Amino acid sequence: MKAYTPQPLHIVLVILVVTGIILVSLGGYLGPALGVATEPLVAAQTWLSARYQVVYEFLTVPRDVASLRQRNAELENENAHLQTQVIELQQQIKEAQVLYALLDFARSRPASQYVAAAVIGRDPSPFLHYIIIDHGSDDGLRHGMPVVTDQGLVGRVDAVTAGAARVQLISDPSSTVNIDLKNAQTSALAVGSLTGDVVLDLVPQDIVLEPGDLILTSGLGGAYPADVMVGQVTSVRKRETGLFQSGSVQPAVDFANLRAVLIIVNFRPVDIEPLIPTQAP
Amino acid sequence: MISALIGFVIITISVMAQMAIVRYLPLLNGSADLVLVVLSAWALHERSEGVWIWALIAGILTGFISAMPFYVPLISYLVIVWVASLLRSRVWQSPILAMFVTVFIGTLFFHLLTIFALQFLQQISIGWQESLNLVTIPSLVLNLLLTLPFYVVLTDLAGWFYPAEVE
Repeated sequence: MKAYTPQPLHIVLVILVVTGIILVSLGGYLGPALGVATEPLVAAQTWLSARYQVVYEFLTVPRDVASLRQRNAELENENAHLQTQVIELQQQIKEAQVLYALLDFARSRPASQYVAAAVIGRDPSPFLHYIIIDHGSDDGLRHGMPVVTDQGLVGRVDAVTAGAARVQLISDPSSTVNIDLKNAQTSALAVGSLTGDVVLDLVPQDIVLEPGDLILTSGLGGAYPADVMVGQVTSVRKRETGLFQSGSVQPAVDFANLRAVLIIVNFRPVDIEPLIPTQAP
Repeated sequence: MISALIGFVIITISVMAQMAIVRYLPLLNGSADLVLVVLSAWALHERSEGVWIWALIAGILTGFISAMPFYVPLISYLVIVWVASLLRSRVWQSPILAMFVTVFIGTLFFHLLTIFALQFLQQISIGWQESLNLVTIPSLVLNLLLTLPFYVVLTDLAGWFYPAEVE
């Protein structure tokens, strides 16, 4: 086989062609020519790439959807878990705020001993205004013990089991609290009602009552300790022919949103019922 | 025995929900009576059993928890079951109508008995007119609103516990 040996003329020719192309390129005349030459190639490459992508996605996307769905479910689950945690923490913050307020109140009255209890329900009957709390005789609660919050008087313990107790609110129709009108320096009664409003009763006619007057427990009758906030006078009803004047009271405690209470466990109520004279038949 | 067990569980849950949820959703001064509605729905189901035991459980449980006189819920729930039993045998073709009638009569009876007991036996001053306007009528409306959903739920539950016999 005869070996190919380049001739000097061919070498010169190649060098000239290459040099010419370089010069044409440097002169900027090669671009349009190359563009025309590569355009079909680019179109072909685009077509091929698009078809490849379609085939690739066809083969791989189903697996990705499954994994994405799984990942989405995991994230949704985690999100729900975190939302639950947020709600729980918000709940704990609210409870902590209530307990801090009760603690402050208890610290401000060191003479009394308190047991804190959570409100777990209300009396099933809409005619009565009672709440159920989660502490009972096992925690030292007894019948008649006064129940308060940091805002004021709530009521008193009406019935007790080992682990729970029923508290009669001062807004109950059968509740009566002996009170002192702070500005008027006189005693009267705060009586509950069917609607949950507290009514001021047995206020002497010569007393000047003003809306906004503060009402505190008087301690008379021995059912409640003295000087516990009951509420404020909101309106006064005075009849010329009446023996007494009456009025409406805005209780200091919001009974609709009562979440925790304090029971004064070192207060022993006095039962004065045997001292009340009974009518002879 | 199973019926009493089911009754105890369902009535206990109803009483708990009544105290913790329903009583916090008032209309004026009235609130729905979940136990009454549940008892009526169960008593009207054709295959339900032991409904008198359910009424006893409901009466004792409510009487124990509530501050109202013990006999008021006990008598009321027994009367409601008796009314439901009467209606079940007479208005058997339209049980939902019987359910509405039972809840209506039951609520009125329960409230009238409560007002009577509180006013005359316990000497608590609550006016008849005020009680009817602010407590009884709103409670009646709420009870009737609960009637339909609870009828469906309790009917399904009764059908689950006492499936129809296939001939």
